[in-house]
Amino acid sequence: MQRYPRWPIHMALMLAGFVMLVPFYWVLKTSVSGENIYAYPPSIVPAGVNPFYYVDVWYAIPFARYFLNSVAVSLIAVAGNVVFNAMAGYALSHGFRGKNVVLLLFLSCMMVPFQATIIPAYLITGQLGLLDSWLGLALPQCSTIVCIFVFKASFDAVPRSLIDAARIDGLSEWRIIWHIMMPLAKSAIATNVILAFIWSWNNFLWPLIMTRSADMQTLPLGLARFLSYQEDTTGALYAFCIMVLAPSLLLFLLAQKEFIRGLASGATKG
Amino acid sequence: MSRWRRILFNRFVLVPGAIALAVAFWNIYVATHNHGLVIGRVIDPAGRPVADATVALWVFNFTTYEEKERVRTDADGVFRFTNNPSHKIQLSAEKPGVGRSPRIPVFLYFRAQDTTLDSPLRLADAG
Repeated sequence: MQRYPRWPIHMALMLAGFVMLVPFYWVLKTSVSGENIYAYPPSIVPAGVNPFYYVDVWYAIPFARYFLNSVAVSLIAVAGNVVFNAMAGYALSHGFRGKNVVLLLFLSCMMVPFQATIIPAYLITGQLGLLDSWLGLALPQCSTIVCIFVFKASFDAVPRSLIDAARIDGLSEWRIIWHIMMPLAKSAIATNVILAFIWSWNNFLWPLIMTRSADMQTLPLGLARFLSYQEDTTGALYAFCIMVLAPSLLLFLLAQKEFIRGLASGATKG
Repeated sequence: MSRWRRILFNRFVLVPGAIALAVAFWNIYVATHNHGLVIGRVIDPAGRPVADATVALWVFNFTTYEEKERVRTDADGVFRFTNNPSHKIQLSAEKPGVGRSPRIPVFLYFRAQDTTLDSPLRLADAG
């Protein structure tokens, strides 16, 4: 069998990686230098590096409060995703009457954008008395169809004999999920955690619609508010972007191994 | 023991733990260095200390700087503000007959940070 040299692939991947990373580098560079982003010729290395734009952002808006809101909402969304998606994924990995209809329904629902369902979501949240609360902010993101399929793919890979053995030993379905399936689905859990966290963290529209008090706003709303009343914001705006991005990046870097494994397993078995 | 070691010594605990520790130390540092002290010197064009010069503290107020306080320098040309509330200030000095300095921006790492200016305010001849 003829073996092709791998360096062209690596070169192409490095080039693609470089192209993707340049905007991030530019945001970081501008956040510590405040340079005009339209300056020509552009400077690659930042001049006069300082952290004062970050200090400006910290004091220009109640950043700590927004950060706390974002963290709380994201944690609720992550917990909801792991619990509910695992339950749904476990059910879908078994045969039951109407399973195909449910799967079809799930797949069709994926095609409906959230903007189309935002009014019913608002009304339901209002009926539950959860408007302007952390739980209300997290509620529509407590389960996502993509992540259900990630769990389903992971559970499908577990041998049926293991589940049958657990049943023979007298374990209930609950305990089979939490004590047998979940420890075997660490990649799916990591994927759920990361995706739920990032989606919740970056969500703008739902918090914009359902928060009423300034104290309940999240970081994306804070960014919009910051833009609305700050002038000459180049450095501070980019510093804000870095401060909003950092937690998601950190989470991804911490769990990237499990995340990629979980996505790959979903891609091949789902 | 090995179970606890496995739970505690992994990246999901160590990295957030290190960040929490750094934040805690930073907050302790801020709490012990936020008395609002701003200390500096005023010199004349020849580099000599200027006594009895008026130094103004300008504080950033949302979009512009507004004057908050004025103090006078002592015999060594040293001035001292004791309740600067901001992290973004400007300082200017003047003395009739000697001259005035341009407004110098001073950026601090946190509000009311105690700071001593590295370089003095230099009065330039107004004429």
